[in-house]
Amino acid sequence: MSATSATLPARRMAGWAMTALPWILLAILAILPLLVPSPNFTRLLFMTFLWTTTSIAWNLLGGFAGQVSFGFAVFYGAGAYTTALLMNAGVNPLFAFLAAGLTAALVSLIVGLPAFRLRGPYFAIATIGISEAVRVVMTNLSFTGGASGYRILEHRPFRQLEHYYTALLLAAIAFAISWKIAHSKFGLGLKAIRQDEDAAADLGVNPYTYKLAAHALAAALTGMAGGVFARYAAFIHPGGVFGFHTSVHILLMPVIGGIGTVWGPVLGGFVFGIVEEEIVASFPEIHLLLYGLLLIVIILFEPGGILGGLRKLVRRFRDHR
Amino acid sequence: MTTAKIPILEVQKLTKYFGGLAAVKDVSFEVRAGQIFGFIGPNGAGKTTLFSMIAGAVRPSAGKIRSRGVEITGVSPFRLVKAGIARTHQIVRPFREMTVLENVQVAAHFGRKPVRSPSAAKERAMQVLVSVGLDALADNPASILSVGNQKRLEIARALATTPDLLLCDEICGGLTHSETAAMLQLLRRIRDGGMTVMYVEHDVKAITAVCDRILVLNYGRKLAEGTPDHIQNDPAVIEAYLGTKAAGRS
Repeated sequence: MSATSATLPARRMAGWAMTALPWILLAILAILPLLVPSPNFTRLLFMTFLWTTTSIAWNLLGGFAGQVSFGFAVFYGAGAYTTALLMNAGVNPLFAFLAAGLTAALVSLIVGLPAFRLRGPYFAIATIGISEAVRVVMTNLSFTGGASGYRILEHRPFRQLEHYYTALLLAAIAFAISWKIAHSKFGLGLKAIRQDEDAAADLGVNPYTYKLAAHALAAALTGMAGGVFARYAAFIHPGGVFGFHTSVHILLMPVIGGIGTVWGPVLGGFVFGIVEEEIVASFPEIHLLLYGLLLIVIILFEPGGILGGLRKLVRRFRDHR
Repeated sequence: MTTAKIPILEVQKLTKYFGGLAAVKDVSFEVRAGQIFGFIGPNGAGKTTLFSMIAGAVRPSAGKIRSRGVEITGVSPFRLVKAGIARTHQIVRPFREMTVLENVQVAAHFGRKPVRSPSAAKERAMQVLVSVGLDALADNPASILSVGNQKRLEIARALATTPDLLLCDEICGGLTHSETAAMLQLLRRIRDGGMTVMYVEHDVKAITAVCDRILVLNYGRKLAEGTPDHIQNDPAVIEAYLGTKAAGRS
């Protein structure tokens, strides 16, 4: 009895800590580039925020709803190209980003309407096919420059911090959406679909529309991340933003961090964003192979990802006390 | 007052072919509100197929199903829930990574009278858990429940969608005698609360103990229909279950 009454305040403290953590993290990240004024470091964090956004987005569909997609490059690329085309037409970047999200969401419906007729591995395979088809089309589309890519001409001075805060804001929005969903009716419906789609339908959940909605939301966030990236890079090409490796990266992060959780994709995004730079720089030829190995190791030894492993450690520590 | 006369479930010449084989052929019956209506039949008689067609899981080859005069033939399960028809599964299908309470909460959120806020859905789920006697296990993972309690959870989830018609598929399969008795008592309580129950079971004893009306299937066709007493004394039913010799002797 005394043990439970002693842990109750401790548990409440932990609850507060978990609510405060995102705000503390946000504050630190907001002042970090001012404390460490290095363009390289700022760029690293900027890319990490974009990766984290896509990681959180993928987890909405792949983690919460259990629909594993290998086709998120389609949304990243659609967002990147939408932003690029609109900005070259003189549209304000902010509106270009919103349009990128909208376009990606529309594309997700075109993909999802047929693909969600399929289940499990068949859905996953369909997303690979669609993703590759889109990449090939974009490679041969002449008005966006085809395989040689597309350049964005922005007539304003380049300010890195503006890009940095845009990406940070986008990642924060993605996290807020993910957190909200995890604690809502929508999130519980998605979790029910992940565990048993037919049983969920027998309780009144419409699996098809729920999957389409999660897909569209994930696509919108991914598309905006693609747009923010396009503006920063000022040059995009189908082999990059639409590349299969982009889809694999987006899928890998939540798996590394802890699939189906709120913090896992964030953790995965940060680990990946920072480590990826090093890996690509050191092993440019075999970096995809390394990711493949990492994926196998995680699925074999810790399907819960980093977060799952940490939770196990905490539990073990608690039990031994 | 006329609405009371319209059957809560009306099945007309329902037929299902699997290839050339008629699993269910021209079966018609009506279920009146406030009854426990049972199906029985020997193995392969078409009970499960008939049940699945009514539950929206299998599309009929021919025939019509109406609920309160509204046609529901081939309507998908999640829409049936909104129309007030909920089912349980013979092989239990709990959401294993959720707690018992969360399992029922899903039904409260998405049932016929959907609840939006998680706290209100939890509250309704808890009421249902109390009514089926699972409240003490509310915070346990659904995966650790015993078979008997998993069957109860199936019923709790279906009840939390607030149906008029509850479709129960072999809820006593694999249960002990005392568990079966408790389960049948629960069914009676559900009926006495004003709900209609359609009940499929392999165990003839359980069905005759609890049902107000029984439909007997044999080789996919309707063999007999009536009260438990009527069914038990029907020579055709005895023949189907025990063979001609036994029927002749009785």
